[in-house]
Amino acid sequence: MKIKRILIANRGEIAIRIMKTARLMKIETVAVKTAVEPNAMYLSSADIIFDNTEDTSEIPVFLDIEKLIAIALKTGANAVHPGYGFLAENAYFAQKCIDNNIIFIGPSPDAIYKMGNKTIARNLALQNGIPMAMGSQGNIANDEEAVAIAEKIGYPVIIKAASGGGGRGMRIVRKKDEMEKMFTIASKEAEKSFNDPSVFIEKYIENPKHIEFQILGDTKGNVIHLGERECSIQRKHQKLLEEAPSGALDAKLRKKMGSMAIQIAKAVNYYSAGTVEFLLDSDKNFYFMEMNTRIQVEHPVTEVITGIDLIEQQIRIANGEALKYKQEDIRLTGWAIECRINAEDVQSGFAPDPGKIESLSMPTDPCVRVDTGVQRGSSIVASYDSMIAKLIVKGKDRKDCLKNTKMALDKVWIKGTKTTLPFFRMLVRHPKFQNGSFTTAFIEKDLEKYYFNAEYEEMLAAWLAVKLFVEENLNDDSISIDYKHGKEMNPWLLNKRISQF
Amino acid sequence: MANDKLQKKKLYAISSENRQFSFTLPFKHKIRIGKRDYEVKLKADEKLGTYILWKNRKYPVEIIRSRQNKYELLFNDISYTFTVETPFSLQRKKVLNSQKGKATSEYIKAPMPGKIIDVLVREGAVVQRGEPVVILEAMKMQNEILSPVSGTVVKISAKPNTNVMKDDLLVEIKP
Repeated sequence: MKIKRILIANRGEIAIRIMKTARLMKIETVAVKTAVEPNAMYLSSADIIFDNTEDTSEIPVFLDIEKLIAIALKTGANAVHPGYGFLAENAYFAQKCIDNNIIFIGPSPDAIYKMGNKTIARNLALQNGIPMAMGSQGNIANDEEAVAIAEKIGYPVIIKAASGGGGRGMRIVRKKDEMEKMFTIASKEAEKSFNDPSVFIEKYIENPKHIEFQILGDTKGNVIHLGERECSIQRKHQKLLEEAPSGALDAKLRKKMGSMAIQIAKAVNYYSAGTVEFLLDSDKNFYFMEMNTRIQVEHPVTEVITGIDLIEQQIRIANGEALKYKQEDIRLTGWAIECRINAEDVQSGFAPDPGKIESLSMPTDPCVRVDTGVQRGSSIVASYDSMIAKLIVKGKDRKDCLKNTKMALDKVWIKGTKTTLPFFRMLVRHPKFQNGSFTTAFIEKDLEKYYFNAEYEEMLAAWLAVKLFVEENLNDDSISIDYKHGKEMNPWLLNKRISQF
Repeated sequence: MANDKLQKKKLYAISSENRQFSFTLPFKHKIRIGKRDYEVKLKADEKLGTYILWKNRKYPVEIIRSRQNKYELLFNDISYTFTVETPFSLQRKKVLNSQKGKATSEYIKAPMPGKIIDVLVREGAVVQRGEPVVILEAMKMQNEILSPVSGTVVKISAKPNTNVMKDDLLVEIKP
C-alpha cells in the first residue's frame, strides 16, 4: 500500500467514518483540531491530531487549500480524503494535492471540473445520448419561438427567467393556447423582479422521483455501478431520507439507467466513487441531472445492500489498484433506509436548532447502523451543518425495513436540541411513503403536518403542565391558588359566588 | 353544599390549538384511557435527564419555560404550550374572550437568532395561514418564517439586513 497516512480534510461523522475504514486497512490518520470544536468527537478516532486552534480565521480550515496542503506536508500524510462538502468537489484542491505529491482520494481534477460545470456536463450527456430534460439553446425571443420549441420537446414546458430564481418569472405551460399569455407574464415578471426580461424554456418534469446511481471506477478504465438510491424525500433540495434500492425500478430499468450512468462516467474517464443523479417521471422516463464527484452523505444505504465498503474502495482506487468487482459480482440484497437526524425544529419549518447534546442514546439492534459525529456533551455549532446522526436501518425487504425503521426511531433518545425525529416518525406512518408513490413534491404537496405524535403524547404533556402548576400553586390540603402577583384566592369558592348571581 | 359536590374540583390544560385536557383534583399520577387508569411517573437520572415513564416506555421531557399559568414543554421531541386554568379562570377567560371578540393579535417572533434577509409582507397586507412573511438566515440556511394564522398585517418590526435575537418580535398579525 502506497498510502501510509491520510489527512482527513473534514470533520464530524464523515471524518469518523473514513478513519474507521483506514484503521481496518492499517493506515494512519490525521485529524485537524479547530478552535470552533476543540473537543469534537472525531478527534478521538485519529492517530495524529494537528492542533489548528490558534487559527481564528473566519474561513474554516477545511476550506483553506494552502493550509491543508501545509498540514499534510507537516504531518507526513501522503494522502488526503476530503469527505463530502467543503473541498470535496474542488478541482483546484485535487490538483494542488497532486502537485505536492499527495494522493487525492477522489477522482481526477479534470473529471471534477467537467462535472462541476453545468454546460460542459450537459454537452457531455448530449454527446453520449444520455436522456435529459430538453430545452431551448439559450434565451428565446418571443412566444412563437417558444411554441416551436415546445412542439419539438413536448408539453408541459416551463418558462424560466434567465436571471431568475425563487420561483419568480417561472410559468408552467401545458398547452399551446397558453403559451402567448404565459410567455408575456413570465417575461414581465422577470423584468420586474430581475431587471431582465429574457427567458428560456425547458421540458417540465412533473412530480419526479430522485434516483441516483452509485458508480465505482478505477484508474485502469473499469467502471461499474452499485445500484440506485432513491432520495425523493427532500425539502428545498435538501435530502432527508434515502433508501436503496428504489421501489420504482425493476431489473430492466435498473440495467438501462445503470449503463447510462456508467457511460457518462466513462466520458470523463471517471475513477473513485461517484454518483449520477437522474429524475424519473411517472411514465418511467429518466433524465440526467448531474454527477456528484464525491462520497455522498447517503452512501451507507448502498454499503448495506451491496456489502461493499465504499471508503475502502476509494482508498484502494486512489492507491492505484484495479477494481476487484465486475458488474456481475454486484448483488443487491435486502433493503436499507437512512434517516438524517438533524438539529432542526420541524414545528418551525425545519429551522436549525443548534445547541448542546445533553443526552444521547441510539438503538443497538443488529439491523441498525448509526453514523454520528456527536456524543453526550457535544455541541451542534452554528458554523457547520445541523447533522446529529444518520440512522441506517436494514431489512429483508422494504416492508421489513420500514417496520425496523419505525422501531429504531422510537429507540433514539436525544436531549438538548430539537430534532427531525418527529418528522421521520410521521413519514414511516404515511400511506404514500409506505406504498412508495411519493415524489420530490411529497413534503410540499402531500403533507399537512410535518411531525407525528400519538394522541396520548399530548395528553401526557398536558399532565406534566398540570403537575407543574399544582406543585407551584397548590398546597395539598387547601386548594388556594397563588397567582404569583400576590393575590390568594380559592377558585372554587369564587366560582360558587359567581354562580350565585 | 350540594353545589360543591356537583362542581368537581378540576384543572384544565388548554393547548395552543385550543384542545382541552381536564384533570381531577387531588392531582393523581395516573391517566385514564377508556376505562383503565395508567400510572405516569416523572423521573430524572444522570444519564437520561428528565423523563416521563408511561406504559413501560421512557419519553424525554424538558420544561422550556413557564410564565404564570403558561407552560412550554418538550415531550418526545415535540414542543407543546399549555395554559393551566381552574374552572373559575377558564370561565373568566371565556367571558373576556367573548367581550373582546376573537381579534387578539398573533405575534410572530424569531424562532432563533439570525439575520433578517427579507420581509415579504407590508403593513395592511392580507396573509394566509402558512404564507411566508419573513426570511431569516441562521446557520447559513435561509428560513421562511410562516404566518400561523390568516389575517391582516398590523405591524412590522423586522427590518432587512438587521440581526435579531431569539423571540424578537417580527410581525404582528390580526386574525
